[in-house]
Amino acid sequence: MKIIILGAGQVGASVAETLAGEANDITIIDQNEALLRNLQDRLDVKTIVGHAAHPEVLEQAAAEDADLILAVTNSDETNMVACQIASTLFHTPTKIARIRAAGYMAHPQIFRPDAIPIDVIISPEQIITDQIQRLIEHPGALQVLDFADGEIQLVAIRAYYGGPLVGHELRDLREHMPKVDTRVAAIYRRDRAIIPEGHTVIEADDEVFFIAATRNIRAVMSELRKLDKPVKRIMMAGAGNIGYRLASALEQKSYVVKLIDHNPGRARRVSELLHETVVLQGDASDEELLASENIDNMDVFCALTNDDEANILSAMLAKRLGARRVMALVNRTAYADLIQSSVLDIAFSPKQATIGSLLAHIRRGDVVAVHSLRRGAAEAIEAIAHGDPASSQVVGKAISEIKLPEGATIGALVRDGEVLIAHHDTVIRSEDHVILFVVDKRFIPQVERLFQVGVTFI
Amino acid sequence: MIQAEQRPESGADNGVTPDIALKDILSTARVTAGLRASSKKKLLERMTDLLLEGTSGLNENIVLQILIERERLGSTAIGKRVALPHGRVPELDHAVGAFATLEPPMDFDAADGEPVKMVFALLVPAEATEAHLRILARLAALFSNDAVRESLADTMDASELYHRLVDGDASTTPG
Repeated sequence: MKIIILGAGQVGASVAETLAGEANDITIIDQNEALLRNLQDRLDVKTIVGHAAHPEVLEQAAAEDADLILAVTNSDETNMVACQIASTLFHTPTKIARIRAAGYMAHPQIFRPDAIPIDVIISPEQIITDQIQRLIEHPGALQVLDFADGEIQLVAIRAYYGGPLVGHELRDLREHMPKVDTRVAAIYRRDRAIIPEGHTVIEADDEVFFIAATRNIRAVMSELRKLDKPVKRIMMAGAGNIGYRLASALEQKSYVVKLIDHNPGRARRVSELLHETVVLQGDASDEELLASENIDNMDVFCALTNDDEANILSAMLAKRLGARRVMALVNRTAYADLIQSSVLDIAFSPKQATIGSLLAHIRRGDVVAVHSLRRGAAEAIEAIAHGDPASSQVVGKAISEIKLPEGATIGALVRDGEVLIAHHDTVIRSEDHVILFVVDKRFIPQVERLFQVGVTFI
Repeated sequence: MIQAEQRPESGADNGVTPDIALKDILSTARVTAGLRASSKKKLLERMTDLLLEGTSGLNENIVLQILIERERLGSTAIGKRVALPHGRVPELDHAVGAFATLEPPMDFDAADGEPVKMVFALLVPAEATEAHLRILARLAALFSNDAVRESLADTMDASELYHRLVDGDASTTPG
């Protein structure tokens, strides 16, 4: 695919990094030459210095050949104008933009094709806020991801010694839970993927991904782990965009929230906007402050500043001082590798959370949702099957007959709004939403091909 | 609304709806030789322009979007250097075709990996009839004929291309 990325900031750069590795033709536009030079040194991409919304700059980037434009500059206005120009002058088929200001977001009619033609609006802050919130609602989960408009969830948990899951074959799950249907989509043991089969025995410390209807997730989790105590008290460090959004979402669900920010101005502003949250001005790595605010009583501590090191340190400290579960935003992949599961309970990567929402528009076939997992190594995909047995390789086939690449499993289907957990004899119909787990993204092209329709599909 | 002008094929009057012949959906204005396109997107834009030649009531942006979205569901390249991009268009009441030979040929994600030299774009009504849907099979049959493909790749004259297509179609029995 020919893709033009506007803005070489954090989102633009990390998207370029992921996509450049996948045989895409990528051009990045930014006004900051140094940022571009750095990218050019590392990645196989073209770069252009200039204003992202100017027609001549877009022309120089060969916008007339581009399949997709991704506007992620720091300015909402530049992003909007760039999409407008791309649409009017170059008929760019897919236009994705980051829009931050709530004022614009409050009027979705602004972004219709006959107004400002943006096909998809992304908000990395909202995506990460939603993910953290789901983790708080499901204590014990390492990751909770939505599919099919929230009808289905994919949940990662760690199996532990003495837990109800460990030492049993997967096929026993059904006897354990005759009333709830679920499917284990993948197991990671000492960081290596194991393809789950009926006779696979789960070991302590395995990371288990399972799929179930959202309403059944709690029941399944209680079967797999002794259910963790629900979260009540939360302390957060960093009242920036994510911290503020999260606090505001959590206080509405009557969690008890304390929010720390070192910037007096910001702490004051946020405290005026939030109603129930206790906003404290101070340093989140100050042991005394944490202790005096009863860190040892906290069910969750979340470090959400834009400084990786500060987040890791304050979360480590919180853990040592007795917080039950600690989480941190960590942008750098190398850090995330180091700390997840050893030092911290959970490290979120904002860029990994964002990339999935973009991949859904880049993957071939009718792909509705993509979640990038395991630091980009694995993917969970929701694709719609189209066609008939003549034009499709999946429609009319039972799951056991589908030639899935190694390491890909079908976890569940949604048919006419109803969730069906995948079993070997489940037959796929046209228009089914199919949720797949692919342990190695090298196999994604094969999965894409599987869901593509033949020429006769009209 | 677009006026349909479909003449039934002779000899097909056996209770089944007759096939739609190529001459009923193509015109010389919608055929071009040696089309140059820098990308697949650009090519589909040019095919959209051709499809709109002499066809009233079609919206350029909508047609382009339909062709692109169909391509995303799976490549319409049929192999042997031929692609048949197509789509269903709301408020269209008859089928419309356009044809181009490409110079240079272009990668089209074909199963056989061959770059595409010949492109036939087809629009059918959203509420397509059996006869509309059979056009695609008819085109596939036409382009599976080695002699037809060679004769099409062989001329740079648009009206000559048109005649070779229509004559080839008339002598092809789909099956």
